[in-house]
Amino acid sequence: MAPSATTTPWTTDFSTTRRQRLFKSPPNDKTAYPMLAAAVNPHINSFNTIFAPGGQMAQAIKDIGTKVFLDGDPYAPGVDSGERNRLYVRIQGVFLDKPVLPPSNKHVLKNRNILPAECRERHSTYRGKLRVRIEYKVNNGDWQEEVRELGYVPIMLRSNRCHLEKMSPAELFQAKEETEELGGYFIVNRRNYPMAIQRNAFTNRGPGYTSYGIQIRCVRPDQTSQTNALHYLSDGNVNFRFSWRKAEYLVPVMMVLKALVETNDRDIFEGIVGPAGSKGLEEKQFVTDRVELLLRTYKVYGLHSQAKTRAYLGEKFKVILQIPEDTSDEDAGVEFLRRIVLPHLGCYNVTESQNADKFRMLLFMIRKLYALVEGECAVDNPDAVQNQEVLLGGHLYGMILKEKLDEWLLSWRPALHDWGRKSDWAPFTSQQFQRDLLSKIIRKTNENIGQAMVYFLSTGNLVSPTGLDLQQTAGFCVVAEKINFYRFISHFRMVHRGAFFAQLKTTTVRKLLPESWGFLCPVHTPDGSPCGLLNHLAHKCEIATQAVDVSAIPRLVAELGVSSKSSASLDASVVVQLDGRVLGFCTPKQAKVIGDTLRYWKVEGTHGVPLELEVGYVPNSNGGQYPGVYMFSQSARMYRPVKYLPLDKLDYVGPFEQPFMSIACTDAEIVSGDSTHVEYDPTNILSIVANMTPFSDFNQSPRNMYQCQMGKQSMGTPGTALRYRTDNKTYRLQSGQTPVVRPPLHNEYGLDNFPNGTNAVVAVISYTGYDMDDAMIINKSAHERGFGHGTIYKTKICDLQDGAKRPTRTVSKLFGFAPKGNVKAQWRRTLDDDGLPRVGTEVRYGDVVAAWHNVSYDPAAGEYVNRDGQTNFFRYKEEETVFIEEVRLMGSESGNEPLQRISVKLRVPRSPVIGDKFSSRHGQKGVMSQKWPAVDMPFSESGIQPDVIINPHAFPSRMTIGMFVESLAGKAGALHGIAQDSTPFRFDEKNTAVDYFGHQLMKAGYNYYGNEPMYSGITGQELAADIYIGVVYYQRLRHMVNDKYQVRTTGPVNQLTGQPIKGRKKGGGIRVGEMERDALLAHGTAFLLQDRLMNCSDYTKVAICRACGSFLTTAPTVGEFDKKRKGTSKVRCRRCAKLAEGMESRNEVWMDAQGIRYVGGDDVAVVAVPGVLKYLDVELASMGVRLKFKVEP
Amino acid sequence: MDDDLLPPEDNGDLQIAFIEASNERAHFVIKNSNLETANSLRRTMLAEIPTLAIDVVEVLDNTSVLADEFICHRLGLIPLSAKGIDELLYSRDCECDGYCELCSVVLTLQAKCESSDVMKVYARDLVITSSRGNQQLGNPVLTDPDRLGSCIVKLRRGQAIHMRCIAKKGIAKEHAKWAPTAAVGFEYDPGNRLRHLDYWYEEDPKKEWPVNEQHLNMDGVPPQEGEPFDYDAVPTRFFFDVETVGGMPPDEIVTKGISTLQEKLAAVIQELKGGDAGDNLDFGGAQSPTMNGMGYGGQDAGYTTPYGGGGPSATAYGGATSAYGGNPW
Repeated sequence: MAPSATTTPWTTDFSTTRRQRLFKSPPNDKTAYPMLAAAVNPHINSFNTIFAPGGQMAQAIKDIGTKVFLDGDPYAPGVDSGERNRLYVRIQGVFLDKPVLPPSNKHVLKNRNILPAECRERHSTYRGKLRVRIEYKVNNGDWQEEVRELGYVPIMLRSNRCHLEKMSPAELFQAKEETEELGGYFIVNRRNYPMAIQRNAFTNRGPGYTSYGIQIRCVRPDQTSQTNALHYLSDGNVNFRFSWRKAEYLVPVMMVLKALVETNDRDIFEGIVGPAGSKGLEEKQFVTDRVELLLRTYKVYGLHSQAKTRAYLGEKFKVILQIPEDTSDEDAGVEFLRRIVLPHLGCYNVTESQNADKFRMLLFMIRKLYALVEGECAVDNPDAVQNQEVLLGGHLYGMILKEKLDEWLLSWRPALHDWGRKSDWAPFTSQQFQRDLLSKIIRKTNENIGQAMVYFLSTGNLVSPTGLDLQQTAGFCVVAEKINFYRFISHFRMVHRGAFFAQLKTTTVRKLLPESWGFLCPVHTPDGSPCGLLNHLAHKCEIATQAVDVSAIPRLVAELGVSSKSSASLDASVVVQLDGRVLGFCTPKQAKVIGDTLRYWKVEGTHGVPLELEVGYVPNSNGGQYPGVYMFSQSARMYRPVKYLPLDKLDYVGPFEQPFMSIACTDAEIVSGDSTHVEYDPTNILSIVANMTPFSDFNQSPRNMYQCQMGKQSMGTPGTALRYRTDNKTYRLQSGQTPVVRPPLHNEYGLDNFPNGTNAVVAVISYTGYDMDDAMIINKSAHERGFGHGTIYKTKICDLQDGAKRPTRTVSKLFGFAPKGNVKAQWRRTLDDDGLPRVGTEVRYGDVVAAWHNVSYDPAAGEYVNRDGQTNFFRYKEEETVFIEEVRLMGSESGNEPLQRISVKLRVPRSPVIGDKFSSRHGQKGVMSQKWPAVDMPFSESGIQPDVIINPHAFPSRMTIGMFVESLAGKAGALHGIAQDSTPFRFDEKNTAVDYFGHQLMKAGYNYYGNEPMYSGITGQELAADIYIGVVYYQRLRHMVNDKYQVRTTGPVNQLTGQPIKGRKKGGGIRVGEMERDALLAHGTAFLLQDRLMNCSDYTKVAICRACGSFLTTAPTVGEFDKKRKGTSKVRCRRCAKLAEGMESRNEVWMDAQGIRYVGGDDVAVVAVPGVLKYLDVELASMGVRLKFKVEP
Repeated sequence: MDDDLLPPEDNGDLQIAFIEASNERAHFVIKNSNLETANSLRRTMLAEIPTLAIDVVEVLDNTSVLADEFICHRLGLIPLSAKGIDELLYSRDCECDGYCELCSVVLTLQAKCESSDVMKVYARDLVITSSRGNQQLGNPVLTDPDRLGSCIVKLRRGQAIHMRCIAKKGIAKEHAKWAPTAAVGFEYDPGNRLRHLDYWYEEDPKKEWPVNEQHLNMDGVPPQEGEPFDYDAVPTRFFFDVETVGGMPPDEIVTKGISTLQEKLAAVIQELKGGDAGDNLDFGGAQSPTMNGMGYGGQDAGYTTPYGGGGPSATAYGGATSAYGGNPW
């Protein structure tokens, strides 16, 4: 009976027994590390909402709506000849099954579930069958139902379509998973792909600007979006812009307004400017002028009624929107408004009131546009988190799925057309159509949506006709590498700004803006090209994956005093909006009241105001952000917990409202009458990995960034279920330890299950000279006792079908020795009877790893027969000696094919060697430069010799004081046997860290500042200075010389030039480039220069004719009287020679390879030149340029 | 500690006085010695006293979760009793091939888990399966109350481990597993009279620096305020604190250390005298076995692994000839 997880919070203590107990018998109810699970939740929840009732897919189906296809020949003369039949098709439901074995497998009877572990081991995709229920009818007949299978789509782990969804740690263990398996990613053909992508755009809240423009990204309930923009023209006119299927269209905004509702010019004028007589109208000359112009210029279209305007729009956009030809223009216009104009306010079954909402919103946008042009409000910054939201993996997945379904329905049209052509345009009402529809027509369409999804997930490439309103088409997927746990977990907290911004020359998008406070970690971003674009969420930041219930808000707001009419001036009335819908207008004073009241209610949990609602109150300002109350309730928003002071309760704060709130960072900073909130902990702004840097507040900031990078590169423990994983390459540290110095979060995230380094005794001393320039010396004895020992696991697949055209059904090869052939003893060194490698065997370069033989099927006997008795092999082709760790035989899902694929896991032992990289947790990386004998190491009075020696010069310029403090804390912790809390911001000027740990050291009988007198190991003399020595947690990084070193004297060369090729794998050289050459020249090292550029490169001996100075005319002579026409050693110049006339003496005559005999041309010398020189000569000769060399003496 | 322990008078001869002696520790002071000798003794005790450790492991069966080389490494580090180690020959000096009873002790580790619980294999499960000079040589050192020794590996049902471990004589210079002691405390001049060390302090050295009263009291008259600095003084008293790993009692480590040091010096004298080659005594000092001719021997440049460096054509240097192996071209 496994114990259940306790709810006891984790502390900074070692909690060894508790962890061990949890590890030995995983709890059977819930995880012991809820924080860890919460970190991945956005991914899983976003996937769950796809198929949840009323979720993304349900909404998407509504948006796709009913497709209509017409029969008859579209090219027939006389278009409106008779009635055309209409075929209506709609999707009624989309279902995704859990992964199970296909029905073709007749071998497994009981449990047909496919678990993720199996997919990992088999290198296959974890996927489930996608089915849709479609309904169709012809004309006004009855709806007919049909279920279609659309292939297999990948399923996110631990989502509601995964077998692991509600498993307890104990059950997960049974399912061969990590007990703390987080899920949130996909398993696609060998690799794990999570999708952590960002939507780099405006939200449906934030208007922006394109040299005076207002843009709004309208998100439909199914998470697809449509960007609408208003452009201010220099004459004061306003145009409405949208893009559809990657093409942009512009429409006068007046036309859209008039089409939306039955209105008149007065309504529009007052809607934009304010009713006559309202306050501030006189000052609004600027706006009134322009609105007048707006109304006037529109007159040229002569479209006065709503119906006419709609018909006009419908006529123009009917083809673009793929609306059936026989729809009336007006209906097409309605469809245009539904799909394109502010679809967040209604995108299916649009009611009149929704159209009125759209109308009001458009008016508001025009108002804001004029305010912007007038300078009354500032431009919104699209780079600030304030105006951004996160594109979640599940949402994107759902969007693509929706589009693929839509596309599939649309692809019926060509299929129907095709059918019509072949069947003489038989009407849809005919018997033939009834018969053919399912069996022939739909069969022609591409129903394999699953394959498209697999393609998307394995490449990250978005193939989409609409582009999904996203700014990039590639790079949507990231492999969830499990190098160590930090890296793995970071993948799920990653937010990328978008590939588009990576090419941008400006760096403004990369800036760390104050708006990001608490949402994006300021520390955890890589340096280099993705700096500032690839961010990580702060560890307390959450992402909404579902819209919250806000049905009560409009009523509440109305009760709090909001009217539908606005006055002209912003000082008199500001807007109140909810999810991009104008609720009304009120005075600025009242707006603040509304904001405060709603917040109070929301925290209190009364009046039906949900806690996750974002109440963005933007106060009036002098040309700042456009004021008003903007509320948001929908998904993909970020929010984070802070404490609401009036109620002393949890409140969630979103990025839009945060800039206008007063949130104290610590309790001490609360300003009475101003602060409304206080942070729960200042470390909430840091990401998970950044939180693990001990005492990061003592360090110079870039060092903390480096540590975030290096922590993710360290050799650690990728997981405990390594047995059931088949990653291409996994690194593992053999002697992982829990750090003595760590924050409580370390335990809360369960990081002790995946140790990442070793506690080492570190002395800061310049001892031998081998610790110069960031090198570090390691105690040889420590190394021998196992310090930093690691292992690399590699997986190689031996596939007999490789190279063959897939999918081949025929089996032509089988594993094993040929039944009748000889088996040599040397093969048996690594192979077993079955021709497969033996577990535990040492394998070196060129050793055989698996045997196979050719077979053909003998139908008479019903078996495969080998006829040639030949055995072939898969060989190990790498330099490094490895051991066979595991051998996996991979069968097929159907379970009736002979073995065609095995995967072999290889183990490479890697004890640290000179040149391997190590680092502390403070961005202090170094290369191990020497293994120093323990007796020669300096030692303290108690006989302690350091494991690691680093140079004091590593500190002054880098200012990683945190490392000193860690050393101090680690030493005190080790002496007293306690774990030390290393959470940043815990100490201040009055209570210093030095004091705290210094007293602990004093108590243990050590120097207050952590110094100790040390003795030279070599002479035994006391060193003149006392040495700073303590315990620091060291990581071994995965960069190892064994993977990197490159040596070459001679080796493979380029065919054409004779120069060495490049590339370590191919045995190439490292280029001695121009600058290196310059240096050699400057040093006068002529011999070295000659050696590098000639002898070790393209040294060639060439025959040159002294007389004519050419390489190209010389030719080897051929023995005139030899039978085989062997070449002689003599070389002659054909250009300088004369044709022999038969009179010359035998000694003078020579013959070339063509058999022509010459005399003379014997002034030939052999010189050594670079091979390319000759090549150059040849190239120049081909364009008629002759090189002539003067050869002396 | 007590002055009674010390000889009543200090006549300038070298004296050793024990402050504390137990099964694990030997805390003593050497008087009237010099720094060079004292440090040499320290170094010898750390690195040059021959002991016994498992050096070669023949893996017959290993179905545990740990890799072969991982377990072998652990086995090597298990302290074995080195009683009567002098009778054992160095493997390289022995006339046998590989190993024999004259130069090695064979321990066998065999375990199979048949219960549903986790089975732990401890150092005590190492069974000596060769004859040896005395009944203690090669026994795993068990110091814990349950006399289990360190845990080598854990087995689940059906997993088994069977290994033949060949323990050989060696010194810690070669590998830390032959170290008789992990650390030797060493101190002289606790009062810093000689001013070899310049104490760094922030405010007050007296407050910030701990004082080893015990050593200070034994180091003659405590330093006085304003005492004149004697720049000719040299350290004469050395405080040692030897802690054994377990294979050897601490006092034996000290005596062995002294004798090893003497032998080394004798070898030097022998060399200097040049004298009789006929003596043929091996004063070459201690050395480790050559691991069946594969590893160790010569300098380990740091880039070789004990797997022969690998590569199709391992050279005399043991490493790969080039990054890409033999000659692929």
